[in-house]
Amino acid sequence: MIGDPVLRLSEVGKGFHGTTVLDGVSLDVPQGQFVALVGPSGAGKSTLLRLVNGMHLPDSGTVRTLGENPASCSRSRLRALRARVGFVFQQFGLVGRLSALENVLMGSLATLRLPRYGVMSYPRALRIRAVEHLDRVGLADRRFQRCDTLSGGQQQRVAVARTLLQSPELILADEPVASLDPAASVLVLETLKRISAEDGISVVCSLHQIELALATADRVVALRGGRLVLDEPAAGLTAERLREIYDTAGARDG
Amino acid sequence: MVSTTPATHAPAAADPGPLRPPWSARALIAAGLLVAAVAVTWLTFWWIGLSPASLAAGLDDTARLLRRMWPPDLPGAGDVAWMIAETLLIAVAGTGLAALVSVPLAFTAARDHRGPRWLRPAARVVVVLTRAVPTLAFAILFVRIFGLGPLAGALAVAVHSVGMIAKLLTDAVEEADPVPAEAARACGAGEVQVAVSTVLPRVFPALTGIVLYRLDINIRASAVLGVVGAGGIGVALQTALGSLNYHRAAGIICVIVVLVLLLELLSVAVRHRTVRHRRVRHSRAGRSAGDTTGTPALPAGRAPHDVGWDRGRVLRVAGAVATGVVFLVSLWSLNPDPGRLSGAWPNLRAVLTGMWPPAFSGDLLMAVLESLLMALGAAAAGAACGLVLALLTAVNTTPWRPLSAVVRVLLVVVRGIPDLVYALLFVAALGLGPFAGFLALWISSTALAAKFFADSLEQLDPLPHEALTSVGARRWQAFAAGIWPQFVPSFTGNGLFVADLALRESVVLGIAGAGGVGYLMQESIATLRYDTTAAIVIAIAVVVYAIETLARVARRHLL
Ligand SMILES: Nc1ncnc2c1ncn2[C@@H]1O[C@H](COP(=O)(O)OP(=O)(O)O)[C@@H](O)[C@H]1O
Ligand SMILES: [Mg+2]
Repeated sequence: MIGDPVLRLSEVGKGFHGTTVLDGVSLDVPQGQFVALVGPSGAGKSTLLRLVNGMHLPDSGTVRTLGENPASCSRSRLRALRARVGFVFQQFGLVGRLSALENVLMGSLATLRLPRYGVMSYPRALRIRAVEHLDRVGLADRRFQRCDTLSGGQQQRVAVARTLLQSPELILADEPVASLDPAASVLVLETLKRISAEDGISVVCSLHQIELALATADRVVALRGGRLVLDEPAAGLTAERLREIYDTAGARDG
Repeated sequence: MVSTTPATHAPAAADPGPLRPPWSARALIAAGLLVAAVAVTWLTFWWIGLSPASLAAGLDDTARLLRRMWPPDLPGAGDVAWMIAETLLIAVAGTGLAALVSVPLAFTAARDHRGPRWLRPAARVVVVLTRAVPTLAFAILFVRIFGLGPLAGALAVAVHSVGMIAKLLTDAVEEADPVPAEAARACGAGEVQVAVSTVLPRVFPALTGIVLYRLDINIRASAVLGVVGAGGIGVALQTALGSLNYHRAAGIICVIVVLVLLLELLSVAVRHRTVRHRRVRHSRAGRSAGDTTGTPALPAGRAPHDVGWDRGRVLRVAGAVATGVVFLVSLWSLNPDPGRLSGAWPNLRAVLTGMWPPAFSGDLLMAVLESLLMALGAAAAGAACGLVLALLTAVNTTPWRPLSAVVRVLLVVVRGIPDLVYALLFVAALGLGPFAGFLALWISSTALAAKFFADSLEQLDPLPHEALTSVGARRWQAFAAGIWPQFVPSFTGNGLFVADLALRESVVLGIAGAGGVGYLMQESIATLRYDTTAAIVIAIAVVVYAIETLARVARRHLL
């Protein structure tokens, strides 16, 4: 089902302290698509993802996320927008001392008014939903285990479950498998892919392993030196070609 | 019905399984501590008659006193220099003596001690007892034995420091790798030889660090020893307050604050330097690790039996000699002539024989209870206020950076003033009693807690907070879910540590008339009732040790 784009970047530029990090990046992501964002470290992948949910604001060009412009949102509108966009971090962003269930429950904070501390401070209905999401990532039986005693792959799946509790319309994942071993990487990406397919959620996932990107994504977008150098369906791409384009793009830059 | 068995992969929609986390010992301990803190605070407020009205009146009286102290009247530069010098010399002499005694004591108290069986527990008792009884309590006793002046002060500093230095050094000795000691024993070395040639060199850096740290604490402590006549700048403060010369008292307090602030700057600088030094050494070690075969073991031209007077060795020896000279000068400045020391002997015998049997009484236990309540109530209230201040100062929680800098500076100044000085001021403003002591401890606990809390807040993992911001959580929600749970262990640990420190202070605040057992202690010595003194010392040691143990156990179970 393809409708209005979930995400639209037009000629976006962004720099820090005078250095240009992103330069004229345009990108449309339709609903339900799994986009792999590849590129070497320092290419600007994290910066791009952070522009999408308003953690950074663009210097030039416009970002439209789920029909909103993060740059012109009020604080509460921005919060509401972020609640609709899931974000998965390389280092998980879990509170290690707390149980998996409580970490998942935190995904619902935007729908609640008061600060919460402890599993029992969340409504029963949310606890039931949180357990369901833990079940979807295969960790329902670990619900009361402290997160710092879970393996890296399990922690990342808890983080995915936390994102699911937001009922996101778009999931951004910033190198979600960069700190995981190969088997756990495949499991986490398959989980993301399955959820994307089942719920029709768009996913933009930055990766630096070309093979994983080709195996998982519908579409591959490559960044290099802050510029978009490739944007093609994954189906027609081979790893060799992707590497080749990488290199020629690098040669043109240099 | 909530069951405690873990859910399986049964269809989650039908039966979600348990939704209530099982009770954990950790949660129970945390809840217990919270309830205890609230109860103790409430009990303390009731005991000292704290109410909004009494607090407002107290602030009023304090403001009036501060107006009477303005402008501060500084003593002449020569006097100031002499008072500061005497304070520093007391601290140096006391710390040095303590270090000398601590080394054998620590080796005796360490786990792998090989001497007579009874020696190790005896050493442990000495360590616990000297650490539990505050410097000022020893100072009162030693002024009676050795007479007024810095000798009593330095000995008090020394005896109390022995406990801490020996304890930390014991830990270092126990952590040292046992294999070299085994090797030396296998060569037929005696136990003292083993300690001196294999363990001491390895714990020496730790010892230096501990002694410097303790010297810092002791300089602050020496600044108030004069209140009981044990020398240093506190003598002038006591004289000024006694003669109601508040302008002069304010001047002396200013000198103390400046001294402590300079010390703070110095210790920060030293810490920075040692950290950098260590980094440089590490990177050098890393670089040279690969090419050991290429570099000769000895620099060219040095004979194998020549130790080599290179720059590092010259500096080290010069430093050691300078340290020794300063220590000897400090000892000499105490004026320990043989006549005076032998004159103290009968006093010492009278005190020691008079101490047996210790005379406990209801009054005494009530006074100890008052000290305990003052300390715990002040620590709890201080932890609450300190938490607010810490949230304002820590870089990751402050709402506004410039505010953070202002509060930080203010806290350093507030911490620079010793507790006893606050107590003296509040007694002068509000009259005798535990209310003054409580306020003094509250202020110092607040400043101390704020520093500890801010430091540990800044060390937390920032990512959960960021993740929750990206979830769309409000500021307070992101704090409560992302920062607070990480902070709980250090909040509890540091809170208990503040309570521990407040307790040690509260047992001596009575010297200023600010409530608690300190007053009884001073009085019992003045009236030669040493059996009461002994009972008080024992009671203090027991209470301090009990609180310290409780804090340690709680910390271990919470982490
Ligand atoms: N907050 C920031 N402040 C300054 N420079 C930044 C910041 N975030 C990223 N950069 C710089 O932007 C460039 C791209 O970073 P990033 O988007 O993290 O790349 P990637 O995620 O592809 O590795 C890097 O050179 C990095 O140093
Ligand atoms: Mg990155």
